[in-house]
Amino acid sequence: MLASRLTRRGFMASGAAGLVLGGAGLRPGPGHAATPVALQLSWLHSVQFAGSYLAREKGWWSQAGLDVSLLQGGPNAPVEPPVVSGTALVGISAADYTAAAVAQGARFRIIGVAMQKNPFVIASLPANPVAAPADLEGKRIGMALANTPVLQALCSLNDVDFDAIRIVPTQYSAQPLIAGEVDCLLCWETDLPVAMAMNGIESRTMLMADHGYAVHSQTYIATRDSLAERRAELVALMRGEVMGWQAYRDDTDAAAELTVRMFPDAGLDLPTQKLQARRQVPLMFSDLTDAKGFGWWSDDSVEANIRTLALLDRTVTPDLWDRSILEEVHAG
Amino acid sequence: MTRSAALAPAALGLMLLFAGWSLLAMALADTRVIAGPIQVAGWLAGNAGLIGRALAVTLTNAAIGFLAGNLAAILLAGIALVWPRLTHAVSGLALVVFCLPLIATGPILRVLLGPGEAPQIVLAALAVYYTTLIPLMTGLRATPAVWLDLVRSYGRGRLAELIHVRARAGLPYLFAGLQIAAPAAFLGAMVGEFTGAERGLGVLTIRFTRSMDVSALWAIALLAAAVSMVAYGAIGALARAVLHDRPPVILAPPGIGTGAGFGRAVHAALLVVLVLAVWWGAMEALDLNRFFAKRPPDVLAAMIRGPDAAATRGALFEAVAETAVFLLPGYLAGLGLGAGMAILLVLLPGLAALILPVAVALRSIPIVTTAPLIVLFLGRGAAGTITLVAVMVFFPTLVACLHGLRQAPGQILDVFQTYASGPLRQMLHVRLPAMLPALFAAARMSVPAAILAVTVVEWLTTGRGLGSLMALSASTSNYNLLWAAVVVVTAISTICYAAVAMLEARILAIYAPEQMRR
Repeated sequence: MLASRLTRRGFMASGAAGLVLGGAGLRPGPGHAATPVALQLSWLHSVQFAGSYLAREKGWWSQAGLDVSLLQGGPNAPVEPPVVSGTALVGISAADYTAAAVAQGARFRIIGVAMQKNPFVIASLPANPVAAPADLEGKRIGMALANTPVLQALCSLNDVDFDAIRIVPTQYSAQPLIAGEVDCLLCWETDLPVAMAMNGIESRTMLMADHGYAVHSQTYIATRDSLAERRAELVALMRGEVMGWQAYRDDTDAAAELTVRMFPDAGLDLPTQKLQARRQVPLMFSDLTDAKGFGWWSDDSVEANIRTLALLDRTVTPDLWDRSILEEVHAG
Repeated sequence: MTRSAALAPAALGLMLLFAGWSLLAMALADTRVIAGPIQVAGWLAGNAGLIGRALAVTLTNAAIGFLAGNLAAILLAGIALVWPRLTHAVSGLALVVFCLPLIATGPILRVLLGPGEAPQIVLAALAVYYTTLIPLMTGLRATPAVWLDLVRSYGRGRLAELIHVRARAGLPYLFAGLQIAAPAAFLGAMVGEFTGAERGLGVLTIRFTRSMDVSALWAIALLAAAVSMVAYGAIGALARAVLHDRPPVILAPPGIGTGAGFGRAVHAALLVVLVLAVWWGAMEALDLNRFFAKRPPDVLAAMIRGPDAAATRGALFEAVAETAVFLLPGYLAGLGLGAGMAILLVLLPGLAALILPVAVALRSIPIVTTAPLIVLFLGRGAAGTITLVAVMVFFPTLVACLHGLRQAPGQILDVFQTYASGPLRQMLHVRLPAMLPALFAAARMSVPAAILAVTVVEWLTTGRGLGSLMALSASTSNYNLLWAAVVVVTAISTICYAAVAMLEARILAIYAPEQMRR
């Protein structure tokens, strides 16, 4: 116990400035059974959630008396039902999906923001690049039709003629771009472009967040009931996340190695995971998180989110975001 | 035919399959949609541990689901025959449960059963029980009336009838059902893994689709096809070992009033009430959260009374129209091809070894792997989707019809042979009438199968129609719309099923009156 406390202190000393961690009072003494809680991930295990793996591996949750199970997502595994029904204490969602669920009566709050910048990009090939939103006019874009509102929002934010773009409904794969069926793809910065790079294909990406598309992504959601009744568990869970992601930032290669080691049956490839880990750093960390700690968000970004969500036909108020858990985490 | 004589064309068939595959892979090397046998073998050798563990997981789940689903089918068929009054309720409920789209049931099973293998097993069982139940019910009725009269003359009841007479008559049809079920169970277990399973071939398929690892994807496809072919072959061998009796001449008195229009309406109304009661009751009993587990009044409000009701109905109608365009041609093409191919295979038995492996492979390779290939050849328009639906309908129809054609009574064929009439004449006058009950059983069970196929294709590839609407409404938490779509899909399936059954009743009353007896 003493040794692990020392390593925690050591870690904290080397951690980012302003990240003040404590919470010794929360930690139950030896012999206490750990409280089981579940964190519902939004997709298959990968370095996308490596901060959580680090938190578990380093014992930052077990020391706080939590036994956290990480529930994998998938194409037919929506995050909201397990969180609503209490199967999972916290889920990884995104502001637009959370807003939709709230409109349908779910009592969710966003209690942390992992991706400060939305990971959506327009990916294209260097010979026929999309470098700015205006370049989209006249292009064929491969995407899921479900994301049409996202493209519409980008167009109206940048005065681009939406009707001049031809949408081709495709599977979520880079294959149609490489086969020349489409000129560009609507995808994440951290998946299809990485897959192309690993296949030796150079691609260009235009981050939609750099062109006004402000939607918090990989957000931590919990119900208002949990916020009222299970605060201590929420604080302990999020404290582990904050520490895990800080450790991730310090060494993304080590995080990728841990991910591949923890899930030998997941078909993960180490070079791919390392590249993905590096590429998501600029989306997750900023001057703001350096100053305030991982997961933090500004009131300005909430305003920007509300404006973008309105373009997606989602009406939300600032009280969808609840900073109280993070405040407790960072206050100690 | 001796064993070695049967093996030679089978080996030739597999060789042709491999040769065609290699040529296709070479021709399409630049498109990254297909990998050739050599790349696939290389990948398998380099990742034997990973793929072996995944195969073990998926295969175990599929096998348990296969057993459970088929046992349930046998039990349900038995219940329906021992208590004929329950037939409508049993087959109606079984149909409705089979129609439930896995896009809606998957997440609910995951919430109910938690992490682990249970949802995959349930989805594999759900994928098979119906395609066994329908041929089995047909087979259990395919008995000469005199045999049943004999049982009754000893004063024995329906249970004795089932055990001594019907069970033997039903066996050939049961084997047909099991052969259809084998690839379906495997695919069901794989798609079940999309609900957040930790490991298995389905999980790897998602991973490798995104990372464009074509060799890995086709290695999984090869494994899925191989497993299904082995299971199909093993069940066929078992059937040949067990079934020695020549099919009997089935004589039954025609037309014992099959229920007037009024009776049918009462049955339909009772079924609707029963389904609503089970739906509502199960959700309350399991205490499912109303956020995602909508009850009948919620759906009613969303479609009729609620503020967005008009928009909901509009979205649904549009999606149904988009789906119908693919569904009908795909369904009819699959039925026609399946029945036609079965006839061809009986006339030219040598072809079977070439055609059947291809048919099993087509049915068992996951859509996510083959879709890019089909899109490449047929484009993203209607042709690709229609082809994928036809493939899903084609296989059960082919297998059911093949078994049906073999049910041609031996004595009557002997008579034809005595008069030296050729295979075509035998086909027309003996085998085709004998095939009709199996063809209609296939036509009925293919209705929900085709609708499931089209929604899965829409969900995973084209992004249009009902499948896409359901996926989108689940991801945006619009569970009112999702459940409304489930109701619409189920209602369409049931109505189309009833329409096929009415046509069947007209025709079988002439050609196979034993099927109409209660």
